[in-house]
Amino acid sequence: MKIASRLKALLQASSLAIAASILVACGGGAGTERLPPNNLPPPVTYSGPPPQTADIQNFMSAFWPNVRNGGVARCAGCHGTTQNPLFAREDDVNLAWAAADQLVNRTDPGSSVIVQKMATGHNCWLGSNQAAIQACTTTLQTWVENWIAGTAGGGTKTIQLVAPPIRDVGQSRNFPLDSAGFAATVYPLVTEYCAGCHSSTSATQQSPFFADDDVESAYAAVKTKIDLDDPANSRLVLRLRNEFHNCWDNCAANSQEMEDAIRDYAQQIPVTAVDPTLVISKALSMYDGTVASGGSRYEAGQIALWEFKEASGTTAFDTSGVQPAINLTLSGDIAWVGGWGINIRSGRAQGSTTSSRKLHDLITATGQYSIEAWAAPANVNQEEARVVTYSAGSTLRNFTLGQTLYSYDFFNRSSTSDANGSPLLQTSDADEDAQATLQHVVMTYDPVAGRRIYVNGVYTEDPDPATGGTLGDWDDTFALVLGNEPSGDRQWQGVLRLAAIHNRALTPEQVQQNFDAGVGEKFFLLFNVSAHTGSPMGYVLFEVSQFDSYSYLFNRPTFVSLDPAWTPSSPIPVRGLRIGLNGVVEPVSQAYRNLDTSVSVANGYAAATGQVLSSLGTIMPLEKGPDQDEFFLTFEVLGSSTNVVTEPAPLTPPPPADSPPVSDIGVKTFDEINATMATITGVSPNQPSVKATYALVRQQLPAVVDLSAVLASHQVGIAQLAIEYCNALVEDTTLRTGLWGGFNFGAPASTAFDTGPERDQIFIPLLTRAMGTSLASQPDESAVRTELDNLTQDLTACGGSCAADRTKTIVKAACAATIGSAVTLVQ
Amino acid sequence: MRIAKCPPTRKASCFWDGHNLITLLFAQRSAGALSAPRGRILSLAALSAAILLAGATAYAGPREQAHRIHERLAGVPPSEAVLSDMQADVAGNSATAAAFTAMDNSSFYSVTLKNFAAPWTNRDQSVFVPLNDYTATVIGMVRDDVPFNTLLSANLVYVGTGGGIPAYSPTNNDNYQALDDQNADLKTQLTATTQTAVSGLPDAGTAGVMTTRAGAEAFFIAGTNRAMFRFTLLNHLCRDMEQVHDTSRVPDRIRQDVSRSPGGDSRIFLNGCIGCHSGMDPLAQAFAYYTFDPTQGRIQYTPGVVQPKYFNNDATFQYGFRTPNDNWSNYWRAGQNALLGWDTQLPGSGAGAKSMGQELANSTAFARCQVEKVFRNVCLRSPVDGTDRGQIDSMVSTFRSGGYRLKQVFAESAAYCMGD
Repeated sequence: MKIASRLKALLQASSLAIAASILVACGGGAGTERLPPNNLPPPVTYSGPPPQTADIQNFMSAFWPNVRNGGVARCAGCHGTTQNPLFAREDDVNLAWAAADQLVNRTDPGSSVIVQKMATGHNCWLGSNQAAIQACTTTLQTWVENWIAGTAGGGTKTIQLVAPPIRDVGQSRNFPLDSAGFAATVYPLVTEYCAGCHSSTSATQQSPFFADDDVESAYAAVKTKIDLDDPANSRLVLRLRNEFHNCWDNCAANSQEMEDAIRDYAQQIPVTAVDPTLVISKALSMYDGTVASGGSRYEAGQIALWEFKEASGTTAFDTSGVQPAINLTLSGDIAWVGGWGINIRSGRAQGSTTSSRKLHDLITATGQYSIEAWAAPANVNQEEARVVTYSAGSTLRNFTLGQTLYSYDFFNRSSTSDANGSPLLQTSDADEDAQATLQHVVMTYDPVAGRRIYVNGVYTEDPDPATGGTLGDWDDTFALVLGNEPSGDRQWQGVLRLAAIHNRALTPEQVQQNFDAGVGEKFFLLFNVSAHTGSPMGYVLFEVSQFDSYSYLFNRPTFVSLDPAWTPSSPIPVRGLRIGLNGVVEPVSQAYRNLDTSVSVANGYAAATGQVLSSLGTIMPLEKGPDQDEFFLTFEVLGSSTNVVTEPAPLTPPPPADSPPVSDIGVKTFDEINATMATITGVSPNQPSVKATYALVRQQLPAVVDLSAVLASHQVGIAQLAIEYCNALVEDTTLRTGLWGGFNFGAPASTAFDTGPERDQIFIPLLTRAMGTSLASQPDESAVRTELDNLTQDLTACGGSCAADRTKTIVKAACAATIGSAVTLVQ
Repeated sequence: MRIAKCPPTRKASCFWDGHNLITLLFAQRSAGALSAPRGRILSLAALSAAILLAGATAYAGPREQAHRIHERLAGVPPSEAVLSDMQADVAGNSATAAAFTAMDNSSFYSVTLKNFAAPWTNRDQSVFVPLNDYTATVIGMVRDDVPFNTLLSANLVYVGTGGGIPAYSPTNNDNYQALDDQNADLKTQLTATTQTAVSGLPDAGTAGVMTTRAGAEAFFIAGTNRAMFRFTLLNHLCRDMEQVHDTSRVPDRIRQDVSRSPGGDSRIFLNGCIGCHSGMDPLAQAFAYYTFDPTQGRIQYTPGVVQPKYFNNDATFQYGFRTPNDNWSNYWRAGQNALLGWDTQLPGSGAGAKSMGQELANSTAFARCQVEKVFRNVCLRSPVDGTDRGQIDSMVSTFRSGGYRLKQVFAESAAYCMGD
């Protein structure tokens, strides 16, 4: 919708009040209203005068059938013959139109008298509880919209901006500069139970450090985790109570203990007014804004719609206005989501097979359809999970929108598929179209184009494996279910904020239109800044909606004056915009803090549209709920007012505590071992057999120096490599002569090592290279030689039948035992 | 596991008994002595225990200190001549001179530095990766005393030379693979050149190791280019995102692909995601013109044209930031991350990876990170007490004031940890 159109008619609340008084006079007040008769005459073929205009024709097709005799709203019992206004009369549709026309607001159907009357609970045909009244109101509004727009419409809705009440920013508790109160109440608790991670001196440190050894650092970090006005809403409490985050004992008791400590602390802090130095706007709550939702969806072929506005109860009403309504019964662990929606953790929302039959009837009549959902999958681990399904169980269906990991699934039963809707159309795994965030998913089917999947308004271009077919095989005994199969064995977890079924395949443009329309209730909030800007009726306009159960979305700040004749005569500087909540300006999520612009004609200010200050949106945390949370804006510079905010320098953390002493020696790692063996033996690491062995055992050798990380498998690799190096050394005449020049390798093993000097010819050069000399950090050389002596004696004991190459083999063994030992491996 | 039976009081020596036993068994099996006398084996194994205990308790004189310096820096034992020379230096209170002697050994480059840098070049942080231009550039910069604070901004790359070594190619790693295969001497076979000369990147598009082929292949491939930032932060400022988490920064540059309500719960964003993305996204915008083309196997640089990956999942939060260019801003200059010590001589914002690399590499955190990495590499442990931290502070100071020469840090670390 265009801002220009929103701004056309302003401050017309008086007309609403006048119209309301008419209805009250006609109805005689709630206390004297008659209940609608339960037994209405059946609908009869209309035989009165024909509709005289196109608008009356629209009224006759979109609105009147629902309220006249036989209509679902059952208004004709009173408003058909006996009680004014007679908008449900049977005799003349033109007269019925004349009566109804007085009750509707064509620029804002939601504020129509007839809709507002229903919102008070006036004879809702679905029941008397709040959820039913909400559904009746929405449905009635849909009929009015369809009448006004014409059934081929689905066009845009005009929004009228209304100046909000002038209200100053309220009071709240703020954190004092001094941390003493925190240190005496909450700090002992967090240091006792949270300092294991949330401290800068922890070995497993996790930001934020609200349990830091330094209380000032902890105090700085804890502020965003404590709600002084509502201790139970503190992050410190919620983490324990709702998210079971590292409770030290019992989560319920621990969270209560934390809440009590925070309450003790909060009660020491006096309630203060908002910081008087701030340059602030007037205050608003979300419901002070102008409603701006639902007008621009394409709904011409919509035959079922669930908006989940009820917020309570166990029924989600179909408010499409197309009868019979498929009202869904919620069963299992399903919670209502703030800002419209349901959070399905387990269970399902199921319609009756009787009411679900309308899908069969209306879709098989056109041979095409679309499934539309605003869904936020809880995760991308779930497989074969059903989001929207019209089926009998896991093997029989008409259609299904599902999720498997990062993909969306689309089953459709047709003449070219089996009874389960296979083959499946699934979005590409690599594209990861399904994400655990709010997404607009549309699946369309028509016999020519087949199945198509759109995510966030974009066609995924996944080809349909089946050819187009007819839907004549559809079964009308199935049930429409959200979040599972009727058989209960295909659970989907996530948030559904809207679901709709159309009996037309939406075009890409229509899909985009519905994506652009968004979901949930949206408000235009006008923050009064006249006092600082000198502009009459000057406002900063935000589009605000409840984003989910825990936050608001603030979007597209726009400077505008509701005085259509005003334009800025000189630039009005706007810098450093922050959004305040309940008297406090929190630092988190202030996306407009870097805003630095000025409002002027040159920068684009126009009397009709104002000037967009930023095209960005940001979310702000929800504290007390949309009916209680009070917003305001602050500025560093706004017009002639200034309050430059200077961030304090961060505190330098104290030095960490000393760690326990650790070993200052370690093992050599793989390449070092290889290079060490090459250095000691003189064998090139490129020697083929050595190279091959090293390639084989490289990743088996130690990769870290930590002594405690060395395993037996490492030593196996070391031994293999050592033996290979020694083998290459001994088999290479030049190399071995260079090292053991005087030793006779040709002598038999029985005589080659039988004297001490002969053995020294081997051991001394070997140990000199491997251990060095005169190094007190190395083992006693004589002890090592003794051990090698003993090894040699063992190996020469062949009983007189030593092999010819036994001498070389023994030298290899002595060599390997030396270079593969701690003598060379420890550094 | 034999180690499980070791009494606590003898754990270390007993541990080595077990491990050396394996070597001895292999040695004997190799020698054909399949049934070696058990008593003999245990006796031999005890030898290693004695070695370890001797090493742990013995007084370390200049010779032992020199030996340790060499082992730590080069990873191999010194020759007698080198050891004697170093011993004299240590005895003359010039342990750093001894360390520089040790660093003359080729193994310092081919083994120590190669494995020092290899984990920085891949997402798994594995040391078992082939030599590549990222690693080679680090080695070359250390060898040639190139100021290390240009690591993330220089138009520089070291390429392999020598017989049988193919020329550098921007589309493959053959040059370095050949060096690896030949166990080439990286002290002598690396030559400096510019990235502009070998890969065709314009000077403005070069950003040190971040724009090497290996860097791009590891961190610019697919994804959103945040990986390059995260791993650069991890490897060169020694901080993962958790340590720089600050939810109070302005989130106006967080891209559209970041869900503000993961799984339908915006608290996760407000308490988690925002803390990293508010600072990371405006910095990672510097990489907006880079990607790695896996088909061609080379880095792609598209000046003036933002890579499509910056618009991945742009409908996730359509009200988020849409990247128009490669302008970056350092929001962490304020808030708790001001403690990273940003260079006040630099503006804190700019365009492109080169200036962003300068921003990172001229921070105190960068210098401290390099020093701490070297300290851990040489001393085989992290700083544990005030004395160690004082030494780190001192080395950071000399590193920054002395032209960012990493060899100096290696030398000072080795001298500090040579034992006493």
